[in-house]
Amino acid sequence: MLKALFYIFFFLILGEFIKYLFNIPIAGNILGMILIFMALKLKLVKLESVKPASTKLVKYMVLFFVPYGVGMMVYFEVLKAHWFPILIATVLSTILTLYVTAIIQQKFEKNG
Amino acid sequence: MDEFFKLPIFGVFITLFVFYIAQQIRLRIRVVLLNPVLIAITLIILFLNLFDIKFEDYNKGGQYLSFFLGPSIVALGVLFYEKYKEIEHNLLPFLFAVIIGGIVSILSVSLIAIYLNAPDVIIKSIASKSVTTPIAIEITKIINGIPAITAGVVIAVGILGNAFGPAFLKLLGITSKTALGTALGTAAHGIGTARALEEGHLTGAYSGLAMCVNGLLTTIVSPYFVIWLIEFTKSNQ
Repeated sequence: MLKALFYIFFFLILGEFIKYLFNIPIAGNILGMILIFMALKLKLVKLESVKPASTKLVKYMVLFFVPYGVGMMVYFEVLKAHWFPILIATVLSTILTLYVTAIIQQKFEKNG
Repeated sequence: MDEFFKLPIFGVFITLFVFYIAQQIRLRIRVVLLNPVLIAITLIILFLNLFDIKFEDYNKGGQYLSFFLGPSIVALGVLFYEKYKEIEHNLLPFLFAVIIGGIVSILSVSLIAIYLNAPDVIIKSIASKSVTTPIAIEITKIINGIPAITAGVVIAVGILGNAFGPAFLKLLGITSKTALGTALGTAAHGIGTARALEEGHLTGAYSGLAMCVNGLLTTIVSPYFVIWLIEFTKSNQ
């Protein structure tokens, strides 16, 4: 578990360092996500040595964003003033995204 | 009492405690709208309001939990690697569907919000509404929106996709289980993926992968798309 956590934090700090060094407009943790995928694909890191930590982190991810959601209370007035465009735009756009993605995948995928 | 609520353990404890209760509620009553995250956020906000506790005080502890979003995003890369083999033979149609779907998501939500005269900061806060919450929060920070609004909207979108996505797509003639998975992951991230997993392992794998790919795509394109759209519509008024 400790080794797995070490790898996760190693790729996180590597991502943050690359962002800092080259000033890329992509979050360091997302760069870390790409780097760890590449390291696994190139067999630089074994799946078994990161899996104990990664499975737990993904499992509890929902808990970690609760404080951000609670932060909405600070913007209650902003949300109250603009609830209509937010509601209409997100609902319509979600319906459209679902349909467009599904129809393309269904049309072009190979079965089996 | 004020000093007590300022202790970091207060924010950590109440979040863990309320989240645990929210999960127990979900285990007993299986209704999608009773999503544990939604219940937890609502109950904590009610509690803080009731006892007149400031968000900043709560977040003295809350931030320790938010910190783990960073390593969780890195862990998504591992998840992606695990599922990748299952879709390798369908990689191109899959990537094509997710890329078009992801772009449609950013463009449609921004254009509708612009059309309805939403202020720039709102558009920036909802542009990444289809991607997983931690990634959406990072995108909103980069384009100067309000991350808390993003978190709320993203969770709501996930619940919408989870609750109505499969029935809606079936109604419109989608019969492929893998297409259903790709759509749920692209449009409704992790909460949609939870529903896809109920439809079967392969549907879940497509959904989880779609969530990762769209998270990456939206990260790369949305800063440019959103800022360009806002500028473009302004110059044409």
